[in-house]
Amino acid sequence: MTGAAETTMRMSRVGAFDVRSWDRGSGPPLLYLHGFEQHPGEAPYLARLAERHSVKAPEHPGFGASTGIEDIQHILDVALHYREMVEAWGQGPVDVVGHALGGMFAAEFAAVSPHLVRRLVLVSPYGVWRDDEPAADPFVLPPAAMDAAKWHDAAWAKRETSAFTDVEDKAELAIFRTKNLSAATKFLWPIPDRGLNRRLRHIKAPTLVIRGESDGLVPLSYARDVAAGIAGARFEAIPAAGHLPMVETEQAFIDLVEDFLR
Amino acid sequence: MKFHWFAEVTYPGMPKGFPAPGQVNWIKTDTTLIDPRATGELYRMFIRLMQGADKVGFDGLAVNEHHQTGFAMTPSPNLLAASLAGTTENAAILVIGDSLALYNPAHRVAEELAYLDCLSDGRLIAGFVFGTPMDSTFAYGNPPVEVRERFHEARKLILRAWAEPEPFAFNGRFNKLRYVNIVPRPIQTPPPVWVPGSGSVETWDLVIDEAYCYGHLSFSGLQSAKPLVDAFWNYCEQRGGDMNPHRMAFTQIICCAETDAEAEAQYYEAVRCFHRSNAVDPNFAAPPGYSTERSMRAQGTLMAGRSKLTPEDRLRASRGEMSFWEYDEKGYIVAGTPARVRQRLRELATDLRIGQLIACLHMGDLSEAVAAQNTRLMGEQVIPYLRDLWAEYPDHWTPQVSQQRVAAISPGRPEPARAAESAE
Repeated sequence: MTGAAETTMRMSRVGAFDVRSWDRGSGPPLLYLHGFEQHPGEAPYLARLAERHSVKAPEHPGFGASTGIEDIQHILDVALHYREMVEAWGQGPVDVVGHALGGMFAAEFAAVSPHLVRRLVLVSPYGVWRDDEPAADPFVLPPAAMDAAKWHDAAWAKRETSAFTDVEDKAELAIFRTKNLSAATKFLWPIPDRGLNRRLRHIKAPTLVIRGESDGLVPLSYARDVAAGIAGARFEAIPAAGHLPMVETEQAFIDLVEDFLR
Repeated sequence: MKFHWFAEVTYPGMPKGFPAPGQVNWIKTDTTLIDPRATGELYRMFIRLMQGADKVGFDGLAVNEHHQTGFAMTPSPNLLAASLAGTTENAAILVIGDSLALYNPAHRVAEELAYLDCLSDGRLIAGFVFGTPMDSTFAYGNPPVEVRERFHEARKLILRAWAEPEPFAFNGRFNKLRYVNIVPRPIQTPPPVWVPGSGSVETWDLVIDEAYCYGHLSFSGLQSAKPLVDAFWNYCEQRGGDMNPHRMAFTQIICCAETDAEAEAQYYEAVRCFHRSNAVDPNFAAPPGYSTERSMRAQGTLMAGRSKLTPEDRLRASRGEMSFWEYDEKGYIVAGTPARVRQRLRELATDLRIGQLIACLHMGDLSEAVAAQNTRLMGEQVIPYLRDLWAEYPDHWTPQVSQQRVAAISPGRPEPARAAESAE
């Protein structure tokens, strides 16, 4: 299971859905849930996490090669999908790290399945909203504005990895990206609030909320609101990072997460 | 051949030079530029113009739905349709259409369209549309990936609400109704259904399977539409669908005048205004999920035919940078004397196999007098001479009542000077 250098995303069946997943490492189980744009594929930070954990990083329903978005009506369906996955994994309670949309999913999963989540890390999570401070609309930002919103230093954009690796095939890349984002609209459009705020109090796992200080997509107040809604949750800001601190400030991110999960 | 009178209800009073760079006229429209009293004047003008069209032989009066835009200020087409259904006698009331995904519960549409069919004495055409991305996903907030499913659920609910004699339960994903039993019921059982599209292969399947009238509604004309319309007909034939030209509608801006020179003088600024008013933020034009993966792939296969219009043509047209006759040459408008308009419409309808022409006779900031002249010239000197086109095919897509009444006031006539025109 460990150490293979080639892309190791594999298909498997979870309940009624086909799921593509990046699974690697050994140690205590860690479920990593990716953000709204794409599964990161062979990401250096996943490999780092796999040094101490048995990491399972599934692609969400409707993203890439994973199926099932047609049968998902409600955020509860997603939470139950991940419950089914963790139960089938058979490792008992797991640590969960979720980023952006994956943070929203991770929080919902932890709220309905407290017995299956040991510790929870939410990185720039979506899921809450403030009318008096509307967050940027990630679906309409033109490329330059998107880069500015995502990164502390937009030069990092080319370091972001993806589950789609055939960069020469522009048509398939466009379909991959559009499919992913269209699945994300199910939960983030037009406002990324499906009622998580009412359910945060059901999260029993010790929780760490992380946000890059230069994140232009998830405002500081939103990340703080999520932390404030979960009893005992800790909030950490990472300097010189945007929406993807695990890419832009990998060491600081790994240090924070590993310290918290210890 | 059938002709339906149509206009986008475009706000005519935007400042000179509108839109400035970065300025848009959809969703983030600057509403302080739009005066409510002038808007009321505009609505009354369009009602008068369409009442006039009803008297001179148009087969239908077409109204549509758009939101949060000064380009087309008709958030509920059923309201404008109601103003016409009760004050006209002949033409079909062509609601093209209600954006089904935006009504919840959607049997509201069944009720309002039934009201219109009753009020018009059976002259309603029920158009069902997906709505532009700006309408359905931004102004009304539906996740793009849900628009199709919401549309189809609503369509099934509406058709059942018209057909079922007894109260029924409807347990949809979006519409949950224990007792559906609408009043009033439509006169027609059911009204003809039209579904316009913009090149989604799923919509092609729908109209072929259900024998609906398809509509290719663009304002870019023959050259732009040709590859897609040809692809539709090829697909229709392959699937064994009905090849009757009356099952296809097409929009065309028409600028008719006594002389070609008068046409240019009377319409050029209005045509430029029309195109400049349709200012869409490109970032709002194609939200992810509005087109399915299958339709994205079909763009490279089924619909791979190339338009003669270049991207630069489209940009210049949208900015009002073409000359009047370049707009005409590229197909954006059909302009000139009635004889010239007749000839070009015959070529267009024959080339695209179009039985229902949605004639856009007012555009931009055109004056009421010129639009009324356009309407009269079309009714008296164009439409009668094109009635022979596709006359051998039955028209299942316009109401029987309007067909009979319009035939009585707008019989066909033989072309007076075909030989002279073909010598041009």
